[in-house]
Amino acid sequence: MSELLTTISLMFIITGPFLLIGNRFDLPTVPFLIIAGIVAGFVIDENLALELARYGIALLVFMFGIRIDLTNARPILRDSEVAAIGQILVVGGLGIGVGILFGIPLAEAVYLGIAVAFSSTIVGTALLQTEIRQELVRGRLAETIHFIQDLVAIVILLVLGAETLTADPIATQLGYGVVLFALAFLLDRYLLDVVGRLADDSDELMIIGIISLLVLFVAAATLAGVSIVVGAFAAGLAIRYNPVEHPGLFNGLVSIRDFFLAIFFVTVGALVVVPFVELGVAASVEKLLLVVGLVILTAVIKPVVTTAILIKSGYEARTSTLTSLSSDQISEFALIIAIEALLLEMLTQNVFDAIILAAAVTMITSSLTQQYNERIYRAVSSWITFEGTHAKIDERSSVPERPTEHVIIVGYGRKGQLLVDACENSDLPYVVIDNDPARLDSISSACDAYVFGDAMEMYTWDKANVEAATLVVSTVNSTPVSNRLLSFDFEADLILHTDDAAEGVTFFERGALYVSVSDVLAGEELAQQLRRLFDDGLSPEQLREERIAELNTYVAVVKDRDSGIVDVSQ
Amino acid sequence: MVLEVQLTTDLAIILLGATVLGFLAKQTGQPTIVAYIIAGVILGPAVLGIVGVTELTDALSELGLAFLLFLLGIKMQLEDVRHILVPIIKISIPQMAAVALAGMGISVVLGFTLLESVLIGLAVMYSSTAVVVKMLNDKDEATSLHGKIDVGVLLVQDIVVVILLAVLAAGRPDDIAEIATTLAIVLVLAALVTVAAIGASQYVLPHVFRRIADNTEVFFLIALSWAFLFVFISDEINLFLAPFGIEAYLSIEMGAFLAGLAIAQLPYSKELRDRVNPLTDLFVMIFFVTVALTLERNELLFYWQEALLAAAVLMPVKFVIFFSLINWQRFSLETTFLGSINMIQISEFGIIVGVAAQQGGFIGTEVLGFLTLLALVTMGVSVYFIEFNHRLFERVEPVLSRWAVDGEFQESKKTYRDHAVVIGLDEVSNTALPILTDRYEDVLVVDRTVDHIEQLEAAGYDTLYGDVQNTTIRKDAAIKAADFVLSSSVQTEINKAVLREAADDATVFVEARRIDDARELYDEGANSVLMGPHLAAVRLERYLEMYFEDRTKFQHLIEGDKEMIELKVDHSTAIVEGDLDE
Repeated sequence: MSELLTTISLMFIITGPFLLIGNRFDLPTVPFLIIAGIVAGFVIDENLALELARYGIALLVFMFGIRIDLTNARPILRDSEVAAIGQILVVGGLGIGVGILFGIPLAEAVYLGIAVAFSSTIVGTALLQTEIRQELVRGRLAETIHFIQDLVAIVILLVLGAETLTADPIATQLGYGVVLFALAFLLDRYLLDVVGRLADDSDELMIIGIISLLVLFVAAATLAGVSIVVGAFAAGLAIRYNPVEHPGLFNGLVSIRDFFLAIFFVTVGALVVVPFVELGVAASVEKLLLVVGLVILTAVIKPVVTTAILIKSGYEARTSTLTSLSSDQISEFALIIAIEALLLEMLTQNVFDAIILAAAVTMITSSLTQQYNERIYRAVSSWITFEGTHAKIDERSSVPERPTEHVIIVGYGRKGQLLVDACENSDLPYVVIDNDPARLDSISSACDAYVFGDAMEMYTWDKANVEAATLVVSTVNSTPVSNRLLSFDFEADLILHTDDAAEGVTFFERGALYVSVSDVLAGEELAQQLRRLFDDGLSPEQLREERIAELNTYVAVVKDRDSGIVDVSQ
Repeated sequence: MVLEVQLTTDLAIILLGATVLGFLAKQTGQPTIVAYIIAGVILGPAVLGIVGVTELTDALSELGLAFLLFLLGIKMQLEDVRHILVPIIKISIPQMAAVALAGMGISVVLGFTLLESVLIGLAVMYSSTAVVVKMLNDKDEATSLHGKIDVGVLLVQDIVVVILLAVLAAGRPDDIAEIATTLAIVLVLAALVTVAAIGASQYVLPHVFRRIADNTEVFFLIALSWAFLFVFISDEINLFLAPFGIEAYLSIEMGAFLAGLAIAQLPYSKELRDRVNPLTDLFVMIFFVTVALTLERNELLFYWQEALLAAAVLMPVKFVIFFSLINWQRFSLETTFLGSINMIQISEFGIIVGVAAQQGGFIGTEVLGFLTLLALVTMGVSVYFIEFNHRLFERVEPVLSRWAVDGEFQESKKTYRDHAVVIGLDEVSNTALPILTDRYEDVLVVDRTVDHIEQLEAAGYDTLYGDVQNTTIRKDAAIKAADFVLSSSVQTEINKAVLREAADDATVFVEARRIDDARELYDEGANSVLMGPHLAAVRLERYLEMYFEDRTKFQHLIEGDKEMIELKVDHSTAIVEGDLDE
């Protein structure tokens, strides 16, 4: 067996127990890969695996590029780009400042700034899966912030390729990078179609073909002297496709990426010179202090800054805080930048180690803050009253005269819209509560009365004059919100939503007038249809025609509202 | 210095070459293995000489073989293999002896010296694990009876080749006793590793994998970690034995196979196949390309006429030997034919044995070239025989029928037909289960959550753990043969895949979130698309009006719904407690 294969074997063997521990406590995978790497560093020669690790980087960036959907990205980008860029500048600046305080030269301190400024897409979005699935504002917001940060990170890698920081090589580098990207845009999926046609439905050839294209772009980047990351990203852009078009290809690429990426993170860990063990006491203390500094910046200062910026750009306090708590870790892109800089000898071992260690620590703490985010928010908001938030709610709400005997509708998704229509048809007074800035325009144009605030906050309810309301209908499928509404103990009747029948029963018991459990309704409908098929002799084809007719009637009813592609899950 | 790290061009060129020839092969209907081998010959020193073997390609091709065997192991259910163990031993040992003799005889006739002929005989007696297993995987026949026989024989050959390599590495053996000791040690070691793997699959792995099965990424990495553990132990077993003064080796292929076998006994193994498959494809491709990379043109072609002649004689000889032996073990005619026709090539191990013999000073480079060319040619040709093995059988069946015996080994695997498949257990699909059980003999539930699978099994349902997005899972659920399919997934792409797979006359229920998706699904042939949220929205709108117009009627309606929800909760607990069937 070759030496390299022995190295890879050891890497994976050592990783196993660490992953089990991480999984046992529901913590993210990446920090445990890094920690396993630190341990593995004692027994393996990580330089052997460096080349494979770089394939891991290339595949990571490539897959990031693949998923960029330029047609959909535009409208979401506007929301949070200010916040993302502001956060990068402020937190990055602080990082550089701390570096200089530690006596690190500016050229290296920049990397500290980079490290603390970016948050991890892998860790952050993995933690936010539920929020993203429920299409909550903060899920989308965090996703966008991560996305913009990743883009900026790629630009930095592009610049980093120029080994000396004089203006001229950077210009050339950028030139080559731009050429690669231009090529990617010109090709615009053309290559994917060609590969698809040639591979003729064979997943094996499709995967090998796509990996070949990636390697071609990486080779072009290497020839031009720019970072392989730039090549890989351009390759991703050139091929970008919707994963569902070729599920076999996508699953295959994910497997291959996960394999190489694991090698990358373990290698990064193995590169660390471990304090106290491989290093004298004085140097170790110095390194650890730097780590502590980075951790505080990332896990404490960064969320504070992000929250402040988000509140400033119009999000209310809770959404802002919860979003910030999902980006309080160091990014895998920062790791890539660090390793590239180390290889280019633009970064000393000490600073590199500090960044890696701080990354591992913050990725773990981040999942903890995510777990306790509501409590952290409660605690913080009891100390500080978020200034100006009430003014903001007042400014963006419109409740003409204090309504009485009205219906309060929480959430202006499809369900909310249907209810608003029903109220308007029957001339019932109503107030809509929502806090998604993306919906503000449609709410303000379609609704007579609305409060633009968080349903978790009492002020929002005062504003909606809940004391005089007859009925409160929440269309939001979120347990914290439902619990909060039940705990307010309003005079008005309360209608709630949930996906979980058991939860529905408890809501009934705790005093909800009605709980809408869509899955139970759908289940009942299904049972009816099955009985008609099996017992009443309805043919499957008859059922199909009947169902299509029903759908058409339903569409005709809601047609005037919009095109019918809006999700009703909220 | 780390600064020098650049991605090597060799791997890039291998990838590109293999891709181009792979596409060509696909377009002209040739098997991809042939394309990869030819790519290696063209890129290697024999023709263009632009690629050599590097540390990286070497490691990746080794990894390819290891993964191939790991993947194979994941597919093997222990009880399916157990009953054919004895026949496999009875087939493989005489087969190797007979082929070795035949190879020796041909070599002597072709003018090789006696020592060379003996070594050639020893090198040609194996069939190619890489070719056979890859083709079986691609054709989805790895778990068919003939597939299992072939795999069993290949593993026995694997043990023999490991022993032979150990002997060759030690130089010329002093006496028979030394060979016997090595043989004994290797057999004991192989037995120990097997026991360890099977023991782990009984006592350790169920607990470990139960915890991680729901996290695909961790599951995949832990499985790889497990595989590498066995690969490492098999390869470095010498390190552990050295203190005892014993010297022995095991092959990494065998370690990987046993690691896979241990995982295969768990209910969560199916999904792993689709995760390991792409990595295997990639690395095995590198393996096939690098096979031809070691030799110069004149070395490879020195004995080209002899190699072609030997190939022409050995392939039919191998077929006849395999056919008689498998037939002797009273397998059905079809199993015998397919099991034999798959195994007619010379193995990559032949080359490895050749390299060891050349390094040990037994043969010259030209003979190694002869062996390499022989292996390349027979691999390439045999791929076509494997590709078209069923059609060939149909042609020759009348001729062979006089050797037919009463097939002793029959597959007793449960196959689903006209059954109901329920994809994903949730509140909606849960409601349908009792109704479907009344109607269908077999109701199979596919789900990706360990808890659900355990609840359902306790309640007496057939279950399949895995994600329907994977073709393997769809195949195992026999969606093609189902009479009724209910998918509770709201992912339109999954539902479309299910609709496309299901038979035209099957009744298919799916779920959707959006109106446009629902339309698409009806276009694809769905009989009913359930849209829970829309249903809830419409109902709520009606209730709201009722609330203000007719409070008693409203009360009445919501009481009905409330009962339904409570019933639902009781019913879900019933599933957990397993008293649904009563």
